[in-house]
Amino acid sequence: MGSELYAYALLAFPFLSATAIAFLFRRNGLVASGISVAAAALILATALHIIFRLENFEFNAHWIELGSFSVSFGFLINDLAKLMLFVVAFVGFLVHVFSLGYMKDDPNKARFFGGLSIFMFSMLGLVMASSLVTLFVFWELVGFSSYMLIGFYLGKPSAAAASKKAFIVNRVGDFGFLIGIIMVFSMFRTFNLTSLSEIFSGDASLLQTASVTAIGLFLFCGTVGKSGQLPLHVWLPDAMEGPTPVSALIHAATMVAAGVFLLCRTGFLMTVDALTVIVWVGVLTALVSGLTAIAQRDIKKILAYSTVSQLGYMVAAFGLGSLVALSGSGSHEHAIVTGGVAAAMFHLTTHAFFKALLFLGSGSIIHACHHEQDIFKMGGLAKKMPITFWTFTLALLALIGTPFITAGFYSKDAILALAYQQDKVAFSALVFGAVLTAFYMTRLWKIAFLGSPKSEGANHAHENGLVMTIPLILLSIGSIMGGFVWFYPEALQPIILIGEHLAHGENHTTVALFGGAAWAIGLVVAWILYGAGAKEDRLERTAKPFHTLFAQKFYFDHVYDWYVAKIQQRIALTLHFIEQIVLSGLIVRGMAGIAGLMGIGLRSLHVGNIHTYVYWFIGGLVLFWVLAVGIF
Amino acid sequence: MISLEQYIVVSSLLFAIGFFGVLFRKNTLVIYMCLELMLNAANLALIAFSRYHGGMGGNLFVFFTITVAAAEVAVGLAIIVALFRKRQTVEVEELNELKN
Repeated sequence: MGSELYAYALLAFPFLSATAIAFLFRRNGLVASGISVAAAALILATALHIIFRLENFEFNAHWIELGSFSVSFGFLINDLAKLMLFVVAFVGFLVHVFSLGYMKDDPNKARFFGGLSIFMFSMLGLVMASSLVTLFVFWELVGFSSYMLIGFYLGKPSAAAASKKAFIVNRVGDFGFLIGIIMVFSMFRTFNLTSLSEIFSGDASLLQTASVTAIGLFLFCGTVGKSGQLPLHVWLPDAMEGPTPVSALIHAATMVAAGVFLLCRTGFLMTVDALTVIVWVGVLTALVSGLTAIAQRDIKKILAYSTVSQLGYMVAAFGLGSLVALSGSGSHEHAIVTGGVAAAMFHLTTHAFFKALLFLGSGSIIHACHHEQDIFKMGGLAKKMPITFWTFTLALLALIGTPFITAGFYSKDAILALAYQQDKVAFSALVFGAVLTAFYMTRLWKIAFLGSPKSEGANHAHENGLVMTIPLILLSIGSIMGGFVWFYPEALQPIILIGEHLAHGENHTTVALFGGAAWAIGLVVAWILYGAGAKEDRLERTAKPFHTLFAQKFYFDHVYDWYVAKIQQRIALTLHFIEQIVLSGLIVRGMAGIAGLMGIGLRSLHVGNIHTYVYWFIGGLVLFWVLAVGIF
Repeated sequence: MISLEQYIVVSSLLFAIGFFGVLFRKNTLVIYMCLELMLNAANLALIAFSRYHGGMGGNLFVFFTITVAAAEVAVGLAIIVALFRKRQTVEVEELNELKN
């Protein structure tokens, strides 16, 4: 069988599942969930086959041809895509299984599983896309699935508002992305990623031009929107209104990583200037969201800001690594996988494991505490939910980069190594970010799990069934082992290998020391500052102005609200006025009026008097004679 | 001798009388007779030209005109008779059904 048939199959399974659920099983939640989980299992099997049994391939089919403009639909399966496929299929399957337990009592679970299937379809299409246009199509589809799933709880106006916000903020980023794609076509007459990388590897001088920098930055706009970088990060924390499996799959492991994946796919066209901007956007994102996380009370919001922060790390890693590669040889060696790409993808993979686990664990907690999400109302959960407690702890240790024993340490170490090599300021900023990560996660851990229960819901918490705990256990294995190359099967090793070499490269002891110190400082400070199972936030009492700044998310939402209300609304009202008065009134109704007047005028000629008709007849005759003679 | 111009003047006069008759008379039959008058004025002019410049073209054309006029009269009178049967009048002003 041709290799592309497996790729088509990978797309067909979730698409057919979603179609079947949408048309046949809207009311039957049980069958719908079964179909969706079966599709996810088939996806995992097919993805594993593609990864292990098939060589890297590219397949293109003609899709649109208009004269010289042609877009092809195709699949580009290389090492990068295989790694991403593994993450998406594996985490996707585990989340599907977890949702069986989490959504058991929800009356609308058919719609939920349909949404999950559509999401898997869109995400797999994005990962395998071979041209920028098809990537953009699936990019938008992923945005739509996210919109549908965030707004899943139809009765909650906050969920509807959050889904709208997510889609609109994403759209702002996608506008820049689209401009970038159009610029690519106007400069190179092709959308295909392999053709573009060949053009760039053939002509290194392209990377000195300003227009290529512009292209890189516009494509980065897509990442800023989708992966929640500053200033378009505001949608991610609000996206926590969706059910927790959605937060785990879409807003932690896969969709938000699509932006980083895009950067890795188009890494060959990034110039030094574009990369500098990318690095600083990533670093700022990591810092600002890390600071915001310190003051949050809702467990999901803390994890959301943590996700934004880690995405900032991935973006910064990509930028720093690519800068290192550019300054080293003057062009991109390994056009597909540079150090930056490897570090970013390494962190993406480990982050997918432990972040999905953290979200699923928090889902398990929320489910058990009867939908209590404020950490200051929890407490003492370590004794009541042991499996959740231990898996959550393992993921937490991975996230804060516990030295040597967790995957998170190695991937974060790779990033810090790149930063140390390239830019010491960025390095110190990222180390401070690691301190913050350790700080807020330890805060979360101590308050939610230790001490004694602070509310009825927490008091009655109990461990959930197997269908929810087994995915947790599997993901925790990944969080711990994911840092060691031998954990990954051979097909996925190339990228992870490069990432690990970075972690063991030159200066690795200094970097490891800094990383370890950051971990220790953050952990110890948080341990001392917060009492186990605390009822109120001590930081709130002692450092009120800072705490308010962080708790209000640096007032980003306030600024955007003000902008929308004062500036955008006014522009909209002006346009509305112009449309009502000028377009509808003057032009449209005016034309109708003119036609009406002409009608009235012509109608007045029909008087019914034969003599008048004869006069008009003579008049016409005279005119005809004059024209024939040639006076006019 | 009678010159061409005199025939043309007579023909024009006849045409003018017929023309103003169509414009100003109220009885449909009279209007119809004036139409015939105009046709015959044209016939006269054609014959005069044919007589004074030689050539048979004018005479031949008059044959056609008389034939067509005859056919037209047959049809037109039939219509007027039908109109009279419906409306009991042939006054042009009373035949106006369009509301103003």
